[in-house]
Amino acid sequence: MNGAGREISPDILDACRRGDREAFRALYEAYKDRVYSIAFYFFHANADAASEVTQQVFLKLMREIGRFRGDAAFSTWLYRLVVNACVDRSRGRRVDVVGEDPATLDTLAASTALSHEELFARREVATSVQQAIATLPPKLRAAILLRYFDDLSYSEMAAALRCSIGTVASRLSRGHRLLAKKLAPVRMALKGGE
Amino acid sequence: MFTRHVHDVLPRYCDGELSAGERQGVDAHLATCARCRASLEEIQFSANVVRQLKVISAPPSVWNGIDAALSAPTRHRSLAFAPRWAFACIAVLVVAGAAYWVTRDMGPKPWEVSRVNDGGTRRMAAGEWVDTGGGSTARIIVGELGTVDVAPQTRVRLGQVSQSEYRLHLDRGTISAEINAPPRLFIVDTPASAVVDLGCAYTVTVGGDGAGELRMTKGWSSLEWKGRESLVPAGAMCRTRPGSGPGTPYFEDASAALKRAVDDFDAGTNRSQALDVIVREARVRDTLTLWHLLSRVDEPDRMRVYERIAEFEPPPAGATRDQILALDADALRRWREELAWKW
Repeated sequence: MNGAGREISPDILDACRRGDREAFRALYEAYKDRVYSIAFYFFHANADAASEVTQQVFLKLMREIGRFRGDAAFSTWLYRLVVNACVDRSRGRRVDVVGEDPATLDTLAASTALSHEELFARREVATSVQQAIATLPPKLRAAILLRYFDDLSYSEMAAALRCSIGTVASRLSRGHRLLAKKLAPVRMALKGGE
Repeated sequence: MFTRHVHDVLPRYCDGELSAGERQGVDAHLATCARCRASLEEIQFSANVVRQLKVISAPPSVWNGIDAALSAPTRHRSLAFAPRWAFACIAVLVVAGAAYWVTRDMGPKPWEVSRVNDGGTRRMAAGEWVDTGGGSTARIIVGELGTVDVAPQTRVRLGQVSQSEYRLHLDRGTISAEINAPPRLFIVDTPASAVVDLGCAYTVTVGGDGAGELRMTKGWSSLEWKGRESLVPAGAMCRTRPGSGPGTPYFEDASAALKRAVDDFDAGTNRSQALDVIVREARVRDTLTLWHLLSRVDEPDRMRVYERIAEFEPPPAGATRDQILALDADALRRWREELAWKW
């Protein structure tokens, strides 16, 4: 889902502004999985946290939608709410990381000839990727997820994260560096398969 | 070619977000720099692993919680079979839902003001003044949009509150706003301009003569007065004067000579020489200043400004030189959106 495909019909937004519950349900259906997934990966596959954030976001959205006048894309505003809810919830909380034992991952590096598909199909790899993302600093985590999971453009990210495009690029760069370091065994296994 | 390492540019390089010229420069650097090639490989790897993550369906309990919150005042539900966590979640949401319906019926939340010296918070009505003349400070809670900190020696009048607008009038002094809301919902009127929030954090100061300064720390704002508008991104500032409205914005890390020249230009002092300095001193980031000047200079000078901006970034497809020199609004907007990458 990208660009125009990410935007919901103006008619549904108008109906939501009038308090139409059916329209709000349609809006929820259009975005619920994206919102839930970002929160799910932001909090290391914590379903309770993802549910709580998703509920918060949609309740706030319904409360505030009467004020949304369409000067900016609706999705930009929605993503801003999601990022704020995730970052707020992560403040002062320890991330409960229950990922794979590094020793298990190290055996990947020794295994040979794994294709991308084979590698990512392995449960311990999927878990370690989620763990690596969840242990990034919140701002880097949000940037990485919005760009590569949700496919936002740099300008959409700048609007959602309330920063310059240069800052977006810098956060992505730092996020990539940390992810690559945390996932070194996976990277080595992938190299072995190439 | 880039002579310095290009780590921070590489995500945009991988994502196809660089111009052809920038891309060539990165290519040339990568051909000779093993360190940056290693960084490129890291980025490609980590982008690829994140793209492998699958979309997870939100479970039905999420909507059930929202529905319960929205229906709480009128609907009785049996929670006997709900899981324990869902019960706790719904209990919290029932409270939130009740609050929603109460606030919905009453309209937008009114102003709330807390004074640091008093320690308490009280509701205040439109038309009332917050005056920190005695050296105290205060915090204004802007409904659910954010907060405004009021510095000592400041006078602010609370404006009308509606679903579509919260408005403050800053008579003198300094306020710092942190707003998280759809654009154009929160506005600060000053004697010389209105500061229109586009999703941001900023400080605005008004002196005894009514002149003001806007300094952005996050996001964007626009200063508006009688159809004249200045867009101000994070890291930039803009002055505003009674009778002439918003000045020309510039980045605070611009050279001292450029900043002085912008002030002279806006004040009407030796404008031609001031423009010479601005054009000469401008870095790529200072195209913010140059873009605003396009519509504020006469035709011969407009060509000079155009050429200087085009040295950094030519107009994109759909915006021609002639359109820009004729101040075609759509062409100017397209060029601004392209230039904003550098701001």
